[in-house]
Amino acid sequence: MNPAWALAALGLVDAAFSGFRAYAGRDARIRKHRAVVHAALRGLSVGAVLLLAPAFTAGAVLLLAEDPDRAYGALADGGVGFLVPLGAYALAVLFSLAAYLALPFRASTLAVVVGLGPLTLARPLVVAAACAGALVAGGGWTSLLVGAVAGAAVLCVEPYVHRRWYAPAY
Amino acid sequence: MPHLEISDLITVTDPLSGARLPVRRGDVVRRLDEAGDPRAARIVAALPAGPDDVLDPLAVDRLMIGVHTELQRLSEELRVGERLVDVLDPLFEAIREIAGRRGRFRLVDIGSGLGYLVRWLASTGALGPNVELIGVDLDAALVAEADRLARAEGLDCRFVHGNAFDLPEVATVYVSTGVLHHFRGPALAEFFEAQADSQALAFCHFDIAATRLAPVGAWMFHRARMRHPLGRHDGVASARRAHSDETLLRAATVPGIRPLLYEPRGLSNPFCTTLRPVLGIRPYLEDPLRQALGRASRRLVGAEQLTRGGPPGHDAAAWSATAGTGAAR
Ligand SMILES: C[S@@+](CC[C@H](N)C(=O)[O-])C[C@H]1O[C@@H](n2cnc3c(N)ncnc32)[C@H](O)[C@@H]1O
Repeated sequence: MNPAWALAALGLVDAAFSGFRAYAGRDARIRKHRAVVHAALRGLSVGAVLLLAPAFTAGAVLLLAEDPDRAYGALADGGVGFLVPLGAYALAVLFSLAAYLALPFRASTLAVVVGLGPLTLARPLVVAAACAGALVAGGGWTSLLVGAVAGAAVLCVEPYVHRRWYAPAY
Repeated sequence: MPHLEISDLITVTDPLSGARLPVRRGDVVRRLDEAGDPRAARIVAALPAGPDDVLDPLAVDRLMIGVHTELQRLSEELRVGERLVDVLDPLFEAIREIAGRRGRFRLVDIGSGLGYLVRWLASTGALGPNVELIGVDLDAALVAEADRLARAEGLDCRFVHGNAFDLPEVATVYVSTGVLHHFRGPALAEFFEAQADSQALAFCHFDIAATRLAPVGAWMFHRARMRHPLGRHDGVASARRAHSDETLLRAATVPGIRPLLYEPRGLSNPFCTTLRPVLGIRPYLEDPLRQALGRASRRLVGAEQLTRGGPPGHDAAAWSATAGTGAAR
């Protein structure tokens, strides 16, 4: 199984959320749906560009490999191992977001305090767990390299969008 | 050691004239060091000051507006507006019942900051058309920014520069969010007394529930959501400074007022109750309010319920000594 498409989709969704986070807390208006969508699109476009880095890294690994078929197999295995912690994290986020949006305010506070706050802070740890997953799944150092580049790309979206468009004047 | 908030120290306003007073950076740094908070001292030491060591007032204003904008994000995510309306809607229903449906009422938010609550109420119309919405704050820069934001979105509300202890606006109901923990010692009771002495029918002040979880939750949430170290620092300090249920009820025990707590510690899930109000109502409003609240009125308790088998806080014994006196008034 080639997990590249699932990883790319997760990366792009994460980038859209990163765009939203980069903007959130910078605009005190009440009605800001359009600005939220705009920020998410900014995150998405920056993410799309940054995620080319792991794609190119994987391409370079395959080009330089002595046995491209084996290198491809290792990357695919590593990709699956990388995907498992990310998939679990995505499910947890989805669950707590659904709870936040669907439940009345008391229970939605629970979703925010228990879920979304810690889950936001845990993102670098989840990337680290995904890298470890790539190794455990037998992806070798090439998967670790591609995974680390992908993780760094994903984690850079929010600070970049923030600095580029929303950095405060103070 | 007292927990100090940086924002309280870097903006000082003369309570009488409302004029902004110069603040020397070194003095604030020294106070924070003496209070055993070197992290806060470092944050202040990094703020810009003039050659006379006086903090640059424009930079401080920009910083305060930025930090309050981030603070608003927390209010949005914790649905503070809905949380307030959950209590204010029945309260206004009770008031309309007594005062007549056609009356005009006025809600004044004290320490309104950037005025999120007032602007949100104006934008959603959650309290109905006959409630005028006003925000009051001691910080002129925040008031000006709140006003600018309201105008930018064409919202029907206004903001006034003024002091909580010398209120410039009469109200039917006074409210606040996240302000009570700034008032320490006798100032807390004075705050409630000023409102009880006015023509207001009720006050409803929301602040952080002083649970064991509050400082940890505040750390987690501010760390995840706020960028400026000042906001992160003050967010956790506020949770540490939150008043206990007993302190709030005791302070709200002032003549002419029935003091009540909504969702006190023992009755609520600390994960769900981040902010909850202490209420003071004219005694004749209690029955209509309980009726309007319906089943939720079980969340509303007076001092007598807190002492009688209620959750004992750390100063419950001290509270018991004074309990009942105010409740009977
Ligand atoms: C933690 S902020 C809360 C702001 C806003 N209510 C919110 O929930 O975002 C506390 C506010 O109380 C204001 N404040 C402090 N002392 C005050 C006083 N004596 N009179 C009026 N406002 C005061 C401060 O200027 C600040 O805006």
